[in-house]
Amino acid sequence: MRNGMQASKYRLQGAGLDLALPYLMLAPGLTIVLGVLVYPLWDGLRASTKAYRYGSPVADVGLQNYVRLWSDAQFLNSLWVTVRFVALSVSIEAVLGFALALFCLHEFRGIRLLRTVLIIPMVITPVVVAIVFRLIYASDAGMLTALSAAMGGGAVQILGDPLKAFIGLVALDVWEWTPLMFLILLAGLQSLPHEPFEAARVDGAGAWRVFVDLTFPMMRPVLAIAIVLRTIDAFGTFDQVFVLTRGGPGEATRLISIYGYDTAFKFQQTGYAAALFVTIGLVVLALAFSAIRLLRRIDAS
Amino acid sequence: MMHSSRLTRRSVIKGGLGLALATTALTTLGLPMPAKAAGKKVIIGAFADGGLTPFKEKIIPLAKEQGFDIQFLEDEYGVTLEKWFADAQSGAGQYDLYLLDDPWVPQFGAANVLEDLGAGGIDGSDKDWIGSMIDMGYWPPQKGPRVKGFENAKPTLICVPFVGDLQTLTYRNDVFTGGAPKTWDEVIAKGKEGVAAGKIKYPVVFRGVSGNPIVTSWYPVFLSFGGSFFDDKWNPIFNSAEGKASAEFFVGTMKQNAPSGVVEFDSDQEGAAILGGDAGAIIQYSGNALKADDPAQTKVAGKLDFGVVPKQQSAIAQMGIFIAGVPKSAPNKANSIEFLKWYVSAETQAKLSEAGSIPVKRSAFGIAKPGNRLIPVALQQLDAGALPRPRTPDWAKVEELLGIELNKALQAGSGGGAALDTAAKQVKDYLTTAGYY
Repeated sequence: MRNGMQASKYRLQGAGLDLALPYLMLAPGLTIVLGVLVYPLWDGLRASTKAYRYGSPVADVGLQNYVRLWSDAQFLNSLWVTVRFVALSVSIEAVLGFALALFCLHEFRGIRLLRTVLIIPMVITPVVVAIVFRLIYASDAGMLTALSAAMGGGAVQILGDPLKAFIGLVALDVWEWTPLMFLILLAGLQSLPHEPFEAARVDGAGAWRVFVDLTFPMMRPVLAIAIVLRTIDAFGTFDQVFVLTRGGPGEATRLISIYGYDTAFKFQQTGYAAALFVTIGLVVLALAFSAIRLLRRIDAS
Repeated sequence: MMHSSRLTRRSVIKGGLGLALATTALTTLGLPMPAKAAGKKVIIGAFADGGLTPFKEKIIPLAKEQGFDIQFLEDEYGVTLEKWFADAQSGAGQYDLYLLDDPWVPQFGAANVLEDLGAGGIDGSDKDWIGSMIDMGYWPPQKGPRVKGFENAKPTLICVPFVGDLQTLTYRNDVFTGGAPKTWDEVIAKGKEGVAAGKIKYPVVFRGVSGNPIVTSWYPVFLSFGGSFFDDKWNPIFNSAEGKASAEFFVGTMKQNAPSGVVEFDSDQEGAAILGGDAGAIIQYSGNALKADDPAQTKVAGKLDFGVVPKQQSAIAQMGIFIAGVPKSAPNKANSIEFLKWYVSAETQAKLSEAGSIPVKRSAFGIAKPGNRLIPVALQQLDAGALPRPRTPDWAKVEELLGIELNKALQAGSGGGAALDTAAKQVKDYLTTAGYY
């Protein structure tokens, strides 16, 4: 009798543990996700419906912060600068990355070293990259000015001119992030089947024809993924601009991330900044969903 | 027998938990205790600035002799305001003392995150204080307009002046041979002669970067042209005729006589231009001025002299003092207040003056051997005229709006007056949204 009760107790405890174990295993991860992702997101959404004064919430304003954004000239300018920056840098990175990936697909002496060298910019800390570019661009003692002086020219103005500063920022981003495009696209190219290419060669197709009819169509899904990833990432660019131009001259390079940071932390408009970031988050989300739909359509065709 | 020796899930979990607890306990107990503090600990937060060098080199060792264990944590200027405000507001308690830039006092005051130093025993009515400096430590301000919500509040001493920094003129004595230039016209005219003689490359240099840097460089020109920033109802009036004349002079004449890349210049570049021997004159704070006699830091040691800022109508400089506040969340509050009492005593201020820093007590200006030639000139400037920036918690935003427009006009080399009109409208709109009117 006693043995029977003991066995039943063990069975019950075993069953209870079986039921609880998955939840116990999930608990640490779930707690972390709730703590560092869900709660801040919810708190940010809540903050976006409040007016702040001197760093503290003073009133509920509903969606007023969201409405105000669209009449804020500084926000609209930052959004426009960001869109131009993302479009220009990601396009250049995609083209350059693809070209480099096609080149590095060939096997020749030193190719492994070249592939390694090409990804170095990507692994350097963005702040360090920005400092280096600042040393290159500075009109008083920068490398470009020194080169110009050596050739008998004058000071090279990059960071003091709105257009040149913007292009300088794009150049920095292209230098740093083309390797990511290159890496993704090279992996994509290496995974393509050989047969269609051999058949095209047997049929006498030239390199351009092979690229247009085979390589590019087959690479479109990979290219789309690479572009989506870089676009989302480029929308959040912060450290390079913070160090290189701080948004200037004027507002020429003030990306939305810089404007949001200043609004939240420098000017203590926490609710307004939260509305700004929620809006940008939604814009990026919409972009990502559109890209995924596009990808599905490409796959289907 | 078999049952007891089998490795079950239960035994693994029990064992794991037991091991985790045992490890935690052992680690906690086994951790070496922190070394006994060398004295009364005070964690000071400061932004990196040459104006604090004498304090770091000479006064911190003296404080140690007095039994204080000073931890001096420096950050870049551009991030300190937000970092410290977040620390104070969240009650994180990372610092015992902030060395603020004086325009930040209203923001900390309005948020009520700093200790009442008067209640802590620091006497704000001591006649030895430089009046205009101690005034900046009160919130709401004792004089001048107050923002809404603080009209009837009792002024409280939440900060005490720490280093009495203010703008003065640094000029090349081989270019301005008759002494400090008295007017802006003289700065430009004599500077051009210096350029023609090959002594310098540019008559003047200043900071042109958007935001705080360009506004800081333009402000003494604006004041010397007779401009006022706000009226007593917080309406922007900086776009008056005087203000516009100063802005046109700044983005036009001054730019033409400055390095070509001045639009992107911040304090590093302007410092390099004057200390490297390229520029004839500069309005600056003490950070770079203190390096003027050190051959290791300047190519023109012995050729740089100091004077009060040039005038158009009057010779008024901008004050930009380091001012100390104790956060309510300070972990060593009593120590910090005790440190401040010692630091602002006439004796320590005299030591500060000997060390070469601009003191905040009048008696310390009169010592026999001030540690730097700049100190008596700073007193002359204080007596000639030096004004703080408007005492509003929204100064950072105002400065940002104005700085962007001034920077755009500087890029163009004209349109200073129109830039002020645009900025005035933006400032008015912003302050309206913030409930100022």
